[in-house]
Amino acid sequence: MEERHFIPESGGDQEPPQEAVEVENRREVRLQPGAEEKLVLQFMDSLNSYLSLSHSLSSTLGQAWMELASARHSMGTARLNTSLLDLKFHPASTTLKITEYDDAKAWFVLRKWVSSEEVEEDEDSNSTKSSERADDDDDVVVRRERAKSLSVFGILIPPKLRAAQLSFERALETLVEMANMRSRFLYSFHQLHQEVEDTKE
Amino acid sequence: MANRAQIPTKNSALIAMIADEDTVVGFLLAGVGNIDIRRKTNYLIVDSKTTVKQIEDAFKEFTTREDIAIVLISQYVANMIRFLVDSYNKPVPAILEIPSKDHPYDPAHDSVLSRVKYLFSAESVASGRR
Repeated sequence: MEERHFIPESGGDQEPPQEAVEVENRREVRLQPGAEEKLVLQFMDSLNSYLSLSHSLSSTLGQAWMELASARHSMGTARLNTSLLDLKFHPASTTLKITEYDDAKAWFVLRKWVSSEEVEEDEDSNSTKSSERADDDDDVVVRRERAKSLSVFGILIPPKLRAAQLSFERALETLVEMANMRSRFLYSFHQLHQEVEDTKE
Repeated sequence: MANRAQIPTKNSALIAMIADEDTVVGFLLAGVGNIDIRRKTNYLIVDSKTTVKQIEDAFKEFTTREDIAIVLISQYVANMIRFLVDSYNKPVPAILEIPSKDHPYDPAHDSVLSRVKYLFSAESVASGRR
């Protein structure tokens, strides 16, 4: 299993502004002046990161589609389409871990190629036993789960299909970063929005 | 979004997809496909025969399921149900609009970016203080 933690790039400011005061329902307490500027910077920074990541995603997906098209060309259309997918019980190998960050932001962590045994362990015990596995075991599990995913489309897999798989994995990593940036700038946006509403009152 | 929205913490949440065949196949290769014992999937493949109602139903289902953390939706599909996507405002699952092969991503149509761009209009914080 591979777990990717994405730390936001914000010029070193990864923590919410310490001076920001807890907001009550009636918004009687306002942000201190210094905290507001910091919130605006955080908003702009995470919005900029989101837009950069979306450009990167477009580029990665473009490459992935190209590789998929090449694989389809060599395998034949009939061997690479969704009609080969059956509806047998099948848990996802790549999942997300959601944590709460600063009370109102969701934070997503990508967990790639988790074996089905680990999925059952997580559901039963909510533990972190999977992270104690050795690196060698990790590689074996990742290779096995990748092969299982490719085997839906046959036994002889062309290199282009493997390359497409890796490209889509990279796209997933970018998407999780985007989700985290989205969470961050929406949080800052709503704080600022409330501040604007309070100013009008 | 409520200031104190409850964020459901989870160890293994899913990524749902509402997209064209190639995009769905690609992400299934990356291991995100899930089929539960009731044969419910976490993806909808959109083609020329898919109706708007089917897309709406899939969107509503994925955004109300507790085991889904992110919903990926091709932007051209999101445009078909724009009202529904724009009115969605929960933190989880996060809705991400993605490009497709034939329809590049346009930030101007992104639901989340449209929501925040008002901050740069005449009603912005800065102008409010002058």
